[in-house]
Amino acid sequence: MVSKPTDLVQGTVDLLILKIVALEPMHGWAIANRIRQMSSEVLQVGQSALYPALHKLEQQGWIEAEWKISDTNRRAKYYSLTRAGRKALTDEAANWERLSGAISAIVRTA
Amino acid sequence: MSRFLTQIRLTCRTVIFRNRVDQELDEELEYHLERQMQEGLNTGIAPTEAAPAALRAMGAIAKSKEECRDMRHVNFITDFLQDIRYARRSMRRSPGFACLAILIMALGIGANTAVFSVVNAVLLKPLSYRDPDRIVTLAGSSTTGGKSGARSKQVSLPDFQDWHDQSSSFEAMAYYVLRETSVMVGSAAEYAQVTLVSPEFLRVFAIEPLIGRSFSSDELGPGGSGAVMISHAYWQSHFGGNPSALGQAVRIYGRPLPIAGVLPPGFSFPSKTDIWYPNNRAATEPRAADNYLVAARLKSGIAIEQARTEMTSIAQRLEQQYPQTNEGQGTALTRMRDEMVGDVRLTLYLLLGAVSVVLLIACANTATLLLGKATARTCEVALRVALGASRRRIVRQLITESSLLAFLAGGLGLLLAYWGSQALVVLAPANLPRITDVGIDRWVLAFTLGISMGTSLLFGLVPALYASKVDLNDALKQGTRSVIGGGLARMRGMLVVAEIALAVVLLSGAGLLLKSFAALQNVALGYRPENVLVMKATVPGLFTPEQAQRSNQFFKDTLAQIAALPGVLAAGATMAPPGEVGSRGGYFIDHMPAQPDGKEPEAVKSIVAPRTFAALGIPVRSGRDFRDSDSHDAPFTAVINEALVRQAFAGQNPIGRSIFCPFDTSVAMTIIGVVGDVHQYGPARDPMPECYMPYQQHQYNGNTLSIVARTAADPTALAETVRRLARERAPEVPMKFTTMEAKLSENVAVPRFRSLLFGLFAVLAVCLAMAGVYGVTAYAVGQRSTEIGLRMALGASTGSVFRLVLRQGLVFAVLGLALGSVASIAGTQLLTTMLFQVQPNDPLVYLFVAVLLGAVTLAASYIPALRASRIDPVTTLRQG
Repeated sequence: MVSKPTDLVQGTVDLLILKIVALEPMHGWAIANRIRQMSSEVLQVGQSALYPALHKLEQQGWIEAEWKISDTNRRAKYYSLTRAGRKALTDEAANWERLSGAISAIVRTA
Repeated sequence: MSRFLTQIRLTCRTVIFRNRVDQELDEELEYHLERQMQEGLNTGIAPTEAAPAALRAMGAIAKSKEECRDMRHVNFITDFLQDIRYARRSMRRSPGFACLAILIMALGIGANTAVFSVVNAVLLKPLSYRDPDRIVTLAGSSTTGGKSGARSKQVSLPDFQDWHDQSSSFEAMAYYVLRETSVMVGSAAEYAQVTLVSPEFLRVFAIEPLIGRSFSSDELGPGGSGAVMISHAYWQSHFGGNPSALGQAVRIYGRPLPIAGVLPPGFSFPSKTDIWYPNNRAATEPRAADNYLVAARLKSGIAIEQARTEMTSIAQRLEQQYPQTNEGQGTALTRMRDEMVGDVRLTLYLLLGAVSVVLLIACANTATLLLGKATARTCEVALRVALGASRRRIVRQLITESSLLAFLAGGLGLLLAYWGSQALVVLAPANLPRITDVGIDRWVLAFTLGISMGTSLLFGLVPALYASKVDLNDALKQGTRSVIGGGLARMRGMLVVAEIALAVVLLSGAGLLLKSFAALQNVALGYRPENVLVMKATVPGLFTPEQAQRSNQFFKDTLAQIAALPGVLAAGATMAPPGEVGSRGGYFIDHMPAQPDGKEPEAVKSIVAPRTFAALGIPVRSGRDFRDSDSHDAPFTAVINEALVRQAFAGQNPIGRSIFCPFDTSVAMTIIGVVGDVHQYGPARDPMPECYMPYQQHQYNGNTLSIVARTAADPTALAETVRRLARERAPEVPMKFTTMEAKLSENVAVPRFRSLLFGLFAVLAVCLAMAGVYGVTAYAVGQRSTEIGLRMALGASTGSVFRLVLRQGLVFAVLGLALGSVASIAGTQLLTTMLFQVQPNDPLVYLFVAVLLGAVTLAASYIPALRASRIDPVTTLRQG
């Protein structure tokens, strides 16, 4: 189930999370950090958007969680992509490409 | 799929380890906070400032935590659990109400589940054969539409052979014929259900012997040595399940046949067959001798319509080829399951309909109870709304309450259904197909769960919606002093009217069926069934003159012995006791044409011993009964019944005239007596003309006779003595005992079953409706006690108050009766085919229903009315 294209903001956070955890299993803090770094500080995902999204994705079966010891030697919840999640990521990414392309096209001509 | 499982697993985890899930959420966010602080420290924020800064940066943690919980359905589940707890508390607060509601619903659900378990086993379950949908029956049918064209449903051997050889739609096609006959295992003779089959019979059902082997080609062929298959049940009961049974011989028709195999448990087709054996007769049979039933297995991928088309064209070819026998003769293809349940389907669905009406009444009843509670709870609901509960939340909570109620009722109902279905099996006609399979399986469980949940919505939704609509201001202002709401009272009144109307429908149906059953019982049978012992016996052996002589001697000796027993008033023997027909066909008076044209009138033909009429209580109207002297070498004689006299001898004296009844011989028989008519096909059908012949003159058909003995006292007491006497003389003769009364009751088993159950459901419906009327009236009196007190204080007499309450009951009754009668007149049309001598719109039945329900409704409102008239105005006004 791919989120509706109109649901832009929420859908975008989901896509970013899926993309990030596709690289390696990561906990919430690291995911937020990585998004910030990779977008050169443009995108900031606060915890109030991050955690509900993580729990939703987990409930949907796209990512799965595991408690592990973190680099700071504390127990942390690590998220990784499931097989269903990988498919969803492809779909969502394609969806995003289409959408952003369409928006850019309009913005440029106007 | 695995994703779906993950979701279920996570939801289950949330339900079971709610605290742990919450804890983990806390820990996860705490870790985030820690890292945020760490980062602050790293960028040089003072340690005292780090925590507040991190919290600021993170924003509203509580809010996102709540969102996370929503994502995990935690809130939904905790709300649900809370609702359940709340529902339990509220039930415990008013245990009487809860018990009553649960009991009412359990009765409704239990009765429905019990009837459904029978419908499920008999009508719905697939037959327990491999690919049951491919198994069909083939039968003869009329192509002209009328009954006249077709010979019979059964099929003759030459027709079968042509169907078999010319068709290509079937994987296998076989004929079979079932007989109850004498079988000897070792030295004991007894009756067994024996089926003669053609070679492909087992392939039609795709079964293999459990142990042993299939028939060999030598055993199958014409003139072959022959062998038998036995059923698993027969193997257990006669050989103790011992494999050494294989190869042992059983004697059928005097022929020893070795046991080749035992068929798997559960297979006993047709009916309750014990033994199957292949047809080895080399003789050809005429094309018009319709003696066999036919079953076939469709090839996989062949639709039944395709096979029908093919069979129709084959039948048309045969019509052209053999016009003399096959003119108008077609074929009918039916799925085996449909064929098996043909007659009982309507009865069972009707009962299911009736019992679901009972459930509807139970729902209406519970709804009125809940509505009553809803009024009482207005204040509580208003308070919760005032404290911020949404309307949806309130409805959800109330629905949870009624679901819990329905769930408990469903559990109790299942228990009731368990006993109920066992009772139904006992009550059901013994020949109901697959009745022994009745039980609680997963489909029945699903049904119970379904109707429990369905009914909870049915009786819970209206009160819940009503309660949620409460006007905050009014409710809180009035506090406990509520005046009965007009809308609510009307709603309850409507439900009670609906209950009465539904009860009227059931009661009229039951009334019609009972009246019809009574009519069936009151039919003058033409004989007296009480105190008559019936003993069926078969002298085994092949059909030879010596054998016929031996049979004759056996019955002659046995009859003499029985007649001499103390307590026996008269003893005779007959080929077919009343309720059965052994043979029927054309007859001729005075002379017989050389070539009968097949259009002659028909009569039932029966072979009897002397004194049979006396034993059965059939009156001899004129002439005489047979005597022992009517023996084989004496002139042939016959006795006819009054129906035959009416048909063939209008206004003439039949005594001394000749009658020809082509049976085993076509010789002329002198009519020596006339006897009264008997309902040969049971009480539901009119008597047919009948020709009786003495057993000594028709010995070929005399190897199986039913001895009938009229006794002074209980006839069953005689059975053991008779069995011992017969055993001593002829151990090879199997015997079966019953009484005429038992046979008669078998005859009316189906009408009795449906009138009994319908009556039971109607009684249940009336009781529930009565409880509904009582509940609503009593409740209204309770609510209006202040008003009534005021009226009385202002001078109303006790009588006028009494009438005021009673009038309400009367209004319910009149409205319910009016609605119910309209519905019944439409609904009882369904019963038309089941009624005997009663019309679906029998005015007497409707009058009876109206009077009964009117009286019951008034009785139900009598006590509340009495209570209202005794209200003490001083007390109520002070309380108010």
